[in-house]
Amino acid sequence: MEEKRPLTAAEEHLKSMEQKVEDLRLLMDVSSIISSTLDFNELIGLVMEKAKEVMHADACSILVYNKETGRLEFEVALSCDEASGEILKKHVTLGLGEGIAGWVARNLEPIVVRQAAEDDRHSHQADSMTGFTTKSMIAVPLVGRSGLIGVAEILNPIDRDQFSDYDLEIFQALCRQIAVAMENAVFHRESLEKERLKQELELAATIQRSFLPPLPIYEKGVLRVSGYTLPAKHVGGDLYDFDEPVSGKVGVLIGDISGKGVSAALFMAKVISDFRYQMHGNDDPGLVMNRLNQQMSNTPRGMFLTAMYAVADMQTGSVKISVAGHPPFLWVSKDGIKVMDLEGGPPVGIMELDYPSNELTLGPGDRLIMVTDGVFDAKNSEGKRLGFEELVAFADRHRQEDRLTDRIVDFVIDFTGDEDRADDLTIVELRRMA
Amino acid sequence: MHCDINDYKGNTVLSLSGEVDMHSSPMLREKLLSLIKNKPPLLIVNFRDVSYIDSSGIATFVEGLKHVKAYKGRLQFSELPQSIMDIFSFSKLDKVFEICGNLDDAVGR
Repeated sequence: MEEKRPLTAAEEHLKSMEQKVEDLRLLMDVSSIISSTLDFNELIGLVMEKAKEVMHADACSILVYNKETGRLEFEVALSCDEASGEILKKHVTLGLGEGIAGWVARNLEPIVVRQAAEDDRHSHQADSMTGFTTKSMIAVPLVGRSGLIGVAEILNPIDRDQFSDYDLEIFQALCRQIAVAMENAVFHRESLEKERLKQELELAATIQRSFLPPLPIYEKGVLRVSGYTLPAKHVGGDLYDFDEPVSGKVGVLIGDISGKGVSAALFMAKVISDFRYQMHGNDDPGLVMNRLNQQMSNTPRGMFLTAMYAVADMQTGSVKISVAGHPPFLWVSKDGIKVMDLEGGPPVGIMELDYPSNELTLGPGDRLIMVTDGVFDAKNSEGKRLGFEELVAFADRHRQEDRLTDRIVDFVIDFTGDEDRADDLTIVELRRMA
Repeated sequence: MHCDINDYKGNTVLSLSGEVDMHSSPMLREKLLSLIKNKPPLLIVNFRDVSYIDSSGIATFVEGLKHVKAYKGRLQFSELPQSIMDIFSFSKLDKVFEICGNLDDAVGR
C-alpha cells in the first residue's frame, strides 16, 4: 500500500491557491444570487444560507440597525434553528457598544473573536436564551450609502477550531455584497410601501368626491348655485353641499376639515352625513351649525371644521348665513365687491357656543363667492402665497364676467404653476339670476 | 419648523420658528404633549418667528388646549406676527386661544 507523503511547499501553495480560487468562485456565485432578489425577507434567507456555505460555519446572524431607536435588532439569527431565531428576533436588541455586534456597530470595524468565552465584549444573553454556545465568531459592520445598515455575524467554524484572518477577508468581501443587496431591498420595500399608500390615498380621494353633490350646479327659482373643488396632492378635507332643507329654500354649505390625508377624508364623510341629517326641515343655519358643533365636540386630535352655511329664499333672494371660523366671503354686485366678515364663531368641534345667523338680501345679478383657504393660501414655486387681498383684487377686476369662479380657479392654477398643491381649493357661488 | 423649549420667569416657553404645517405638526404634537404631561399651570407658545400655520398646526394646539383645560391649566400664545394673527382672527380662533403681546404680558396675566 502506498504511503501518503507530505505535501511539498509548492504543492501546499498550489492547494491554498486552489482553495482561494474556489472561495472566489463561491463569492461570485453568492453575489449573483443575492442580487437576484429585491424581496427583503427572501434576501435575508439567501444570505444566511450562502454565508454558512461559504464560511463553513454553524450559524449566521444578521442584526439590522434601527435608526429610530438607535439599537440593533436581530432580523434573522442562527439559521440552523428557526425557533432560536424567533426568540432573538422578539426579545433581544443591542445598543451601540453593547456585546460584540454593538462594539462593531459603534466602531464600524470588523472583528474576529477566536474564543468567545474569553472575550469580555461577548454578551451571553443571546446564548442563554437560545441554548446555543458561541465558540468563535466574526462580526462585520454592514455599511451602505446611507451609513450603518447593521451587523453580520458568522459563528462557529465547522471544520476548524476558530476563525482565521483569511476567513475575515472572505466574510468581509461577502458582507460588502450583502450590504448593497440589503440597501437595494430596503429601498425597494419602501418604494412599494409608498406606492401602496399612494393608491390608498387615490382611492380615498375618489370615495371622498362621491360625497359631493352629484351635479355641481343647482338652479331653482331666481337662484343658481355652483360648486367646484380641485383636490390637492394629499387628500384634503374640503367639502361643499347644496340641497332643499325646506320647500322654497336652498341650503348651501362650504367647509374645510383641518389636516390632510385619509383621516380628513373620513371626517369629511362624517360631516357631510351629519349635515344632511341636521339640515332637513330646518331653515335656520345657526341652529344647524349648533347641532353640528354638538355632534363634533369629541373629535380626535383636535380636528375641527371651518364652515359657512347659507339658507337662501328661491323667490326673494334673502339669505341667512352662519359662519364657523370660515374665511370671509365676497359679495359681488354691479356696483362693486364687498368682503363680508360676518359675526360668527370659531370652527366647529372646538368649544360649546351658539352660532349666530346673519341676514342679507341679494339684488338681481348679485352673487356670493365662498372659498376655502386653499384658494388664497396657494403657494407658488418661490414659496410666495397668493394672499386674500390679491384674490379680492382679482375678483374685483373681473367682477363683470359671467364665469368669475372659473377665472379665479385659472388664476390660482396659473399662480401655483406646476407646483403640487398642498391643499384642496374649493369655490362655491350662490347667484341671484333675476 | 424649529422648536425650542426655554424657561421665562419660572414658566415653560415653547418657541417656534418657520412654517407650522402638516409636515411639521407631528413633531410639534410630540413636543407639546410631552410638555403638557407635566401639567404646567401656564404654558406659553411664542410665535415670534413663525411664518405660517395651517389647519394641521392649529388642530395640534386645539388638542393641546383641550388637555390643558382638563387640568385647569392655561395655554397662552405670545408675539404673534401680523400674518399669523390674521389667520387666527379670520377663523375666530382668537375667541378660543388666549393671545397676548409679549412674554411679560403672558406671565403677568
